[in-house]
Amino acid sequence: MIDFVNRPVLRLFLVGLLALALQTTFFAEVKLFGVVLQIMLALSIAAGLAGGSENGALAGFVFGLMFDLVLTSPLGLSALVFGAAGWAAGYLHSRALENPRWLNALVVGLMSGLATFVLPVVANWIGVEGWLSSRLTKVIIVVALTNALFSIIAVPIARWSLVIRRNQRLAPPSEVFL
Amino acid sequence: MPVYSVSRRRAIALLALSSILLITLDIQGNSAVQGLRGIFATIFQPVQSSARVITRPLENAWQGITDYGELESENARLQDQLDQQEGAFIAALATVRDAQELLALNGIDNLADISSVTAQVIGGTPSNFSQTVEINQGSDRGLRVGMPVVNAAGLVGRVTWVDNDRSLVLLANDSLYAIPVQVVNQPDLVPATTTTTSTTTTSTTTTSTTTTSTTTTSTTTTTSPSLAPPGPLVTTVVDPNAATTSSSTTTSTPFDYSGIDFGALAPTTTGNIVTIAPGTTAGGPTTTINLDDLPVAETGIFRGRGIDNAPVVEFIDQNSRFGEVQVGALVITSGGSQSLAPRGIVVGRVIKIVERTGTSGAVLEVRLTAKLTALNFVRVLLYQPVATGIP
Repeated sequence: MIDFVNRPVLRLFLVGLLALALQTTFFAEVKLFGVVLQIMLALSIAAGLAGGSENGALAGFVFGLMFDLVLTSPLGLSALVFGAAGWAAGYLHSRALENPRWLNALVVGLMSGLATFVLPVVANWIGVEGWLSSRLTKVIIVVALTNALFSIIAVPIARWSLVIRRNQRLAPPSEVFL
Repeated sequence: MPVYSVSRRRAIALLALSSILLITLDIQGNSAVQGLRGIFATIFQPVQSSARVITRPLENAWQGITDYGELESENARLQDQLDQQEGAFIAALATVRDAQELLALNGIDNLADISSVTAQVIGGTPSNFSQTVEINQGSDRGLRVGMPVVNAAGLVGRVTWVDNDRSLVLLANDSLYAIPVQVVNQPDLVPATTTTTSTTTTSTTTTSTTTTSTTTTSTTTTTSPSLAPPGPLVTTVVDPNAATTSSSTTTSTPFDYSGIDFGALAPTTTGNIVTIAPGTTAGGPTTTINLDDLPVAETGIFRGRGIDNAPVVEFIDQNSRFGEVQVGALVITSGGSQSLAPRGIVVGRVIKIVERTGTSGAVLEVRLTAKLTALNFVRVLLYQPVATGIP
């Protein structure tokens, strides 16, 4: 039972449910400069920072798919973009020797902005028109800045979701392999 | 440098391919995708409802802080608007009553005949790109996917997803929204002349330009030109007297003829859902109108273009009688057996005409009459076209 609860996919699903509930209620109404803040995207990228590119891709896929299920846009669109953002964040993270909070915030902000740009581009590519507009610049800036701030709590949440601490604690000491 | 084993690469590729597969299935309209959305909604709804209750005070506090000043000025502006509208409303009532009477006489579907469910908007869109709102009525009250949603100002959108007690409404400015419409040029004056006769053995036809009489006329005829400027086709106003019609007396009052379609379609009620079926010729009085005097309507496709682009009407069927489309022309839904909305819902007015070269015709930018950014109560018309109507 404990092993089941500690599975990353289950934790991701539960965290995703809570985050999605906030996204569709509180953040759908409380807008900053008319822009809806994107915590599902922030969590996807934070998962990449916390657990590496593979975990980032998995978390992005799960969070994106859950987001798609409550939207009218094509199912799988956010899953694809969020998954790619999570994977890219993990890749960038792996290039740095240390990962202080400011660097995490920078990466989350940059990747959020990039994903917010890529989402309407992919949508346009598959035939959903009208998402690419002059307003997109404002949306990218606001989402990037707010997600960078949100990374302060998003990264620890993602770390818990991916069961990283527990796995590290239970792992055999490194001397064993020496 | 990260090291990717073959299995890791496969896992990431699998996720990407799964996403692409899901997109493909959804675009193809696969029913499994709809089923998946339904299952997820069942799991998610209790969590969302709880979150809504918990976060409502926070939302209210935020909106109180950020929107208070705007709310005060808007309140004052709306009060002014209300005073202006009150006079116009009383004047419109008489017109609407006559319009509905004539529609009923000609067996044409009328919005007032269609049952509706009033719903409150309980949630906005969680995305920066999709334009949707969530309402607090669902399939328990007869709502189905595709039903049109209106408010007092006009068309709001259509139901795009339904649960037992809530639904998702795709707003008319979303890029996925499209519906057939009519564009009606509004002349300054409509020289309307109507002659109505109780049918006996002979009929009388009188117009403003020609008069034809035959023998043994035993009818009452009243003819008067309209002096009132034509107003928009207000069909959301319901007058209780509108249902009573007289078969022997006739009147002719200022009337917007754009509301008449002589294609003779009659409403047929199926339960609470109105479907459109080919009508039968009414045996009552007949109405004759000089077609040259009527505002001509052109058909086209209305399409949303996202939150910051005005919706457009395109694929206009150019008619030589119609002439040039004018800025300010009225856009209403055209109805028909395939359309998801009945005829006559006010959509908006033309604000800009963009000419295109070749045979593609002009594109008309439209300003919606309904203010989609500040929706509260809406009405869902329990209407389905005959193509999808349930017998």
